[in-house]
Amino acid sequence: MEKPSLLPLLDARLPLNEEKVAEAARLAGVPLAQAWGVVRYYPRYRGLPQGRLLVDDPVARARGFARLLEEADGTHPPLGLEALSPVYVRLEGGERHVEHGGSLVPFHRFRLPFSLGHGERLLPPEPILDLEAYQRMGGLAGLEGLLKGRLSPDGLIQAVEEAGLLGRGGAAFPTHIKMRAVAQGEPPRYLVVNADESEPGNFKDRFLLEHHPFLVLEGALLAALAIGASRIFLYVRDEFEAAMRGLEKAIAELEEAGRLPVPTEVFRSGGLYICGEETALLESMEGKRAEPRLKPPFPVEKGLWGRPTLVQNVETLASLPLLLREGPGAWRAREPKLFSISGDVERPGLYELPLGTPLEDALRKAGGEPGELRAVLLGGAAGVFTRDLSFPLRYRDRLPLGAGAIVAFGKGVDLWEVLLGLTEFFREESCGKCFPCPLGTAVQVEMVRRRERDRSLVQHLGQTLRGSLCGLGQSAYWAYQSLLEVEGAA
Amino acid sequence: MRLKVNGQEREAQEGTLLLDLVEVPTLCHHPHTETKGLCRLCLVEVGGRLVPACATEAQEGMEVRTDTEGLRALRRTLLEWLALATDLSQAPSLLELLEAHQGQPQRWGGLGLTRKEREPIRDNPFFLRDYAKCVNCRRCVDACGDGIMGVYALTLEDRGLLAHPTTPLDRPLPETPCVFCGNCIQVCPTGALRPLSMEV
Repeated sequence: MEKPSLLPLLDARLPLNEEKVAEAARLAGVPLAQAWGVVRYYPRYRGLPQGRLLVDDPVARARGFARLLEEADGTHPPLGLEALSPVYVRLEGGERHVEHGGSLVPFHRFRLPFSLGHGERLLPPEPILDLEAYQRMGGLAGLEGLLKGRLSPDGLIQAVEEAGLLGRGGAAFPTHIKMRAVAQGEPPRYLVVNADESEPGNFKDRFLLEHHPFLVLEGALLAALAIGASRIFLYVRDEFEAAMRGLEKAIAELEEAGRLPVPTEVFRSGGLYICGEETALLESMEGKRAEPRLKPPFPVEKGLWGRPTLVQNVETLASLPLLLREGPGAWRAREPKLFSISGDVERPGLYELPLGTPLEDALRKAGGEPGELRAVLLGGAAGVFTRDLSFPLRYRDRLPLGAGAIVAFGKGVDLWEVLLGLTEFFREESCGKCFPCPLGTAVQVEMVRRRERDRSLVQHLGQTLRGSLCGLGQSAYWAYQSLLEVEGAA
Repeated sequence: MRLKVNGQEREAQEGTLLLDLVEVPTLCHHPHTETKGLCRLCLVEVGGRLVPACATEAQEGMEVRTDTEGLRALRRTLLEWLALATDLSQAPSLLELLEAHQGQPQRWGGLGLTRKEREPIRDNPFFLRDYAKCVNCRRCVDACGDGIMGVYALTLEDRGLLAHPTTPLDRPLPETPCVFCGNCIQVCPTGALRPLSMEV
């Protein structure tokens, strides 16, 4: 970092008081005003709700939400626990626990059950938490190839281009274009791993980070060497404490083994959905409020501290070692993608499926009965309800795939209740920087509450939210609009 | 260089802001502050994409549309939402805009929570901070900080619809670095910051 970052300085001083905020501002070399704006922005500095909290995700909303809420002191934003939903967490002082399997598990020990993962290429056959085990399964081969000169940095980018890899974080932007743009920028260049997965219904990155840290790190190192990055930052979601510890341990092991050619560190995220928006993420790393920047300039040109920066999703990077091992052509022939499947299916979990798999096949894999479903939420909160079960799950087709969340709802579910949860989520998570999003998400909650179906109002809501500064506001009305379409078709 | 605005050929200097070439409303943009692209009232369509005219430079061959049905709906709706959430009684130009766009804020029903409930803050002899009337354009924060003064007596509180300017540690203004230069009042477009001499 160019200068000490404000967030870690504040984190080291929790619980905060005025003197500690002033001290953090001094050490970070920023005006007290900036530090105060940051403190009043992020939940963990403002003060988190305490007690027994219901994790408010789309599955909980579909399972008698009001009744579940009676057992809780409040709610907590989604945590990637949809496959286990409904789930309660306990927040007491600085302590955070998940209620799981009849006991309280601290966040720093809680990992998604490994049995939730179903796959063979991108998903490990067993949790791989040490370097030796990773190398036994052929890990680090790609990295060795690059370090020994068997593959050039540009050759790697070439392979990514031939494979046609699209970003797995939701925007589906061609990875090689971003890599090449950063590689052509003036050094120093940075790589930031976007591990801030917060989309309701998604838990693929969480799973990879918790059970397969070396794969993620090898992917990050490959990308960093390809673009000539001088540092790697893993921006990890604040609640993924076990993943953070595992990553730090894995980084230390790689370093000890002399297999860490680029300095790598973990950065604790700001703890908000918007922190996953790549420019808001960079703002928070720079010690500011996580608010999206106006683009252009794009991060590949002016990213972290104004330097060329590649911001890339966890699954995207984890795909790189596999892509090299199989060769771009073979990889592309059965392109693997992780789908987080939850809700009314027998075996909710994480499924690795080739892109193009029909939605109904994906549901059946998870033990869902397509005929018994009212609708599916595809792509999370920033996604759509659909009954189009023949849809081939691939990018840039008629429905948005997002990061691959699939939540199934049976015939007994009131989809408006689920939708209300999504709209409340957007209202809570709007950063407030531009005008359409904070206003529109608040208006939308009221509309959904009264089950507004007026065509022109809904259309104007969408046309206005579409003008928001970033993807959060731009996609905040998709679920609403799609539910009305599903209703019309039903 | 040449570009097209609503189908009409136009001549312009390379690098001219679209805002200076087209007739669109604007609210957050100000010649002396860095705030831009936030209110989205000046959005125009360039090649089917929505871009803020206040932050987009004219380029050779650009085809700009300012009058599509979608853009008209967006401006009308935004003004309605602002009126729904904020006390615009001291912002005559915004009320005129709302009228010019045939705005009917009541068509949206109510809002659970608005800015209108906020009490004015009287903590200094010179001016009021009345955040019931604030649309959160950030001009004052920027004028006090990076944009003009470099004093940093203002920052932002909270997120979403509740976000609004505040002082460091929420202190009364005389206990902040504020030098009462008046720049924040100068740039406030809605009367949220008003000199006490104007109060009757």
